[in-house]
Order: sequence, then structure tokens, then C-alpha cells
Amino acid sequence: MKDQPLLHLDVRADQAGFRLEVQASLGPAAAVLGPSGAGKTTLLEVLAGLRWAKGRIRLGDRVLQDSEEGVYLPPERRQLGYVPQEGALFPHLSVRRNLLFGRTSSLRTHRFQSPEERREFERLVEALDLGGLLERVPASLSGGERRRVALGRALLARPQLLLLDEPTTGLDGERARAARGLVQRLRDELEVPMLLVTHRPEEALALAHEVLLLEGGRVRACGPAEAVMRRPEVLASWPEWAGENQVRGRVLRHDVQAGTSTVQLDDGPTVSVPLIAGAEPGAEVVLGVGAEEVLIATDQPSGLSARNVLGAVIDELVTLGSVVYVRAGGWYARLTPAAVGELELETGRPIWLVIKTHSWRVVAL
Amino acid sequence: MGQDLAGIVLFTLAAAAASTAWILVPGLLLAWLLTSHRLRGRAVLETLVTLPLVLPPTAVGLILLLLLGRGGPLGGWLHETFGLDVAFTRGAVVIAGGIMALPLLVRTARGALEDVDPALLAVSRSLGRSSWATFVEVQLPLAWRGVLGGLVLAFSRALGEFGATIVVAGNIPGRTQTLALALFQRVQTGRDDEALVLAGMAAMLAFVALLLSQWLSARGDRSVGRRGTGVVGYPR
Repeated sequence: MKDQPLLHLDVRADQAGFRLEVQASLGPAAAVLGPSGAGKTTLLEVLAGLRWAKGRIRLGDRVLQDSEEGVYLPPERRQLGYVPQEGALFPHLSVRRNLLFGRTSSLRTHRFQSPEERREFERLVEALDLGGLLERVPASLSGGERRRVALGRALLARPQLLLLDEPTTGLDGERARAARGLVQRLRDELEVPMLLVTHRPEEALALAHEVLLLEGGRVRACGPAEAVMRRPEVLASWPEWAGENQVRGRVLRHDVQAGTSTVQLDDGPTVSVPLIAGAEPGAEVVLGVGAEEVLIATDQPSGLSARNVLGAVIDELVTLGSVVYVRAGGWYARLTPAAVGELELETGRPIWLVIKTHSWRVVAL
Repeated sequence: MGQDLAGIVLFTLAAAAASTAWILVPGLLLAWLLTSHRLRGRAVLETLVTLPLVLPPTAVGLILLLLLGRGGPLGGWLHETFGLDVAFTRGAVVIAGGIMALPLLVRTARGALEDVDPALLAVSRSLGRSSWATFVEVQLPLAWRGVLGGLVLAFSRALGEFGATIVVAGNIPGRTQTLALALFQRVQTGRDDEALVLAGMAAMLAFVALLLSQWLSARGDRSVGRRGTGVVGYPR
């Protein structure tokens, strides 16, 4: 999906020897992905006006700050729905009053200004399933409930952009999935523009159309989620991440005897993978294969035992330390610099990628 | 002595209460200002507020006397404009008690305000509240136990004030004589048994006040919204 850019950032912040420098334009469903210490939360705080930074921030046609022009909107005038980690509900207020905190008039008078305002409140309470919680105090809520209240509170203030800091931190698998599902619904059904910060690649991929990869305060990559998630830098920071090469496809058929399944990839070729138990033909799967498992041939190979041979053209050679990642047709193969030299690999050269059936892993069903 | 004693104790309590009352608002404002990291001259302000804690109280009394005496800038103005004299009056007792108690209120309240989870303040700001509204609607309600503890501490300090009071308000029996001043006078004039009764009285009052303050701060540690209660871990 292609989104119009909504948020334009060009900021620099220094604090205690750490330098954050970000230049990017992001659409209405974006994630900032980075390992801990990358400066993700600092970036959110800069956006929200909670931390001083030099530079320019534009949201749609509104300038939030511009140090050259001497413009700096305080946090209360930025209209950003900041949802910190674990929600940060006001412990001295009931859930209802927490929800209405962004609506000064309603909080003071306990009355809605208009029938629409009441309907909006009721709709949100229902959408977030908060009906039974309104008179409770935050201390009595579970982690998942707190997050839903925090989301509702931010949304009721009608923000132009929702800022979500690690929306599933501290939630176990089931609850984390539920929280993710909720954010997806807000994104797709209510079309709430959002920027989320996360240290989990799978969360960035599930929730965002665009990903900004942040490391050491610098932008390492920024672009469509699928493309960024395949960057070798992502694997370098998250060794447990399923592999540089992630592809989506549909199961065509199973060959139980051979222990393999055939998958039609979304971008064309069919590949042979280990039997995917529990997936009906037609089911959507995400497959992964590590860059070190992808072999490169400069001539079309024949008489190979490997079942998957894909033609591609080299787009880019990425050197990271003592290894070189060859990007071709959206795939990554990992080689030594010596091998790159011997094969005379360079940008624009057509090659063949060879992947053994059993190198594939199922990332998601 | 009995009626005397009752009068002295009552006046001491009333003066301490008045001292605490008048520093409440300025004390809270100062505490709030000192929590702002962006404030220029914060260190200077903090030092000024803390000064009465470390200066000899008599020195503070002297500064107050120079300010409030008829020849002083403030006292002179008050005398000429309103015909008011402050030095050596009950008002001076209240002013001296308040100034001496101020650092305790400011420091305790500031600690309590800073203990409020910064994430809550950040959310309040991004939901449209100014930093002042955030102070009133979020920070103060969550820090009230600490603030109350600071008030009790300030009250206790005002209760026992001696040095500054005797310089700026004198030791006038029936007018500006508080418990501490009366005790001093009894000792000076060799009425040790009366002094002992007064000392016992003072100890009792201070004990009750401090116990109350301890109890409040212990309760405060357990109340929600403070650091370490697992409500939120504020991001770096």
C-alpha cells in the first residue's frame, strides 16, 4: 500500500553525549524500529514537544516546530495522541475521567457539549470494549485493559497523529496479539494516523506500512515495511528475526510423501518448501530464508539437487563488517568479500539464486 | 503559671499555624518552579530558598529586621503607607516562623512533585493541558501526601523557632513570647522548674507533629502514581 507522506521530520537533538539525527517523511501508518538505546523514545518525545530539539517538524500542513523560523509549539498545542509504554493512566482518576481528560469541558462539567460528542464517546467505549470499566480505577485494571483505556483517552482528544510507544510491552503472547489486533483495527477501520515505536520487527511489520530503522540515533533505512524488514541491518540487530528474506505466498499443494509443499509466491515464482502441516491449499503463508542459505550462480545452474532456482539482477552490494550482502530481485544472499571478487559480482549483473527446499522456514501462517 | 502556660502554648500553636499557612502557596510555587529543568537560575533560586536552613537563625532574624524595621525598605514603606509596624509584633513572629520553615516545605514538596511519574505529566501535556494545568490537575493531586508531610514538617519547625524570632520580634511576654522564647527567659531568670515544664510541652508538640509527618510520608510511599509502583516505566 502506498501512503501519502504525513509527517516530515528534520531534527537534531543532543543529550548527555547521545546525538539523535533524523530526516524522514512518513505516511499515516509508520513504525520506528530500533534496538534499545537507538533513540526511539527520544524521537517520540521530540515529536511530542516534550524534549527540545533543533530542526523542523511538519505534520500535514501544520508546522509543529521550525527552529530557523523560531516556531515551537508546546506539547499541548501539537494535537498528538501520546500513548506511553504501559499506558500511563492517571491513577487518581476513574477510567471515565481518564478517558475524558483530553476533553476539558466534559471533565469539568461531566456533561457532553453535544449529542455528537456523547455518541463519539459511546462509540469508542464500545469499540475498545470499555463499557464495564468506566467507574473503575486504573490500579484495578489488567495490563491489556490499561492500554485500551490509554488508547481511548488519546483518541478522544482527536489527535492528528497517534504516537504509540511500544504498544505491547509487558503483555504476554495472547494479550499482545489482541493489542496488535486492536491497533490494526484503528488503523484500517477508523483510519487513525499513527506512528509507533517498537523494538520488535514482527510488530513493525504487522502494524506499519512504512518502517524507519533507527540505530545509534541515526536513520539506517526508511521505506515500505516489507523492504526495510529485509534489510541486513535488521538481522544484524535481531539475530532471532526469521531471516533477511521474507516472502508472502499461498500454498498450492502438498506432497506428503516427499515431505514438501509447493508455494506460489506473491511476486511470481513457485518454490518448494518443507511440508507445511496445518495449512490448507490456498492458505496464506510468510516464508523466510536466511541470507547465508541463498547461493549465487553466475550461469544458469543445471543438474542441481536444489529445487529452487530463481533468476534475478543484482540491485546492490551491501558491505557490513566482513560480509557482503548481495541484493537481487528483493532477495538477500550473504557472501564473503572474496567470493564477491571471484564471481565478479556487481550491480546490474544477472545471476541465479539457489535455495534448498529445507532452508525455508515458515514465519507465519 | 498555669494560665500563662496555656496562653503561651495557644499563641505558639497559632503562630506556627499562621506561619505554615502563609508559606503554603509561595512554597508550592517555588517547589513547582524548582522541578522545571528549563528554569534559568534554578541553582540560585534553590540556594536562596535553602539559605534559612543553614544560616544562623539570628542572622536571618537580623536580615528580616533590616527589611521590616521602620528604617528598612519594606517596613518603612508599610509604616508610611498604612501606618503599620511589623517588627516586634506578633506578625513578625509569624513572618520569621514562615521564613525559617519555608526550606523544609519547599524541599519536601519538591521531592513529592518530582516523584510523580513524568509519563503522566507528558500525557497530560499532550492531551492539551498547559504545564500549569498539569501541575494543578495531575501533579498536586498525586503529590498531596508529600506536600502535607512538608507542611507538618514546616509547622514543627515554626513551633520551635527561636533565633530569628527573638531578633525580629523580641521576647515580649504576653505579646510575642512563644514557647521557645518563654523557656529561654525562664532559664535566664533561674526558674528552672518552669523551664522544664515548657520543655516538656515543646517536646510533646514536636513529637506529635513529627509522628504525623512520618506517618504521612510512609503512606505516601505506598500510594499509587509514585515511582516504583509499577504503574509505568517512563522511557529514557
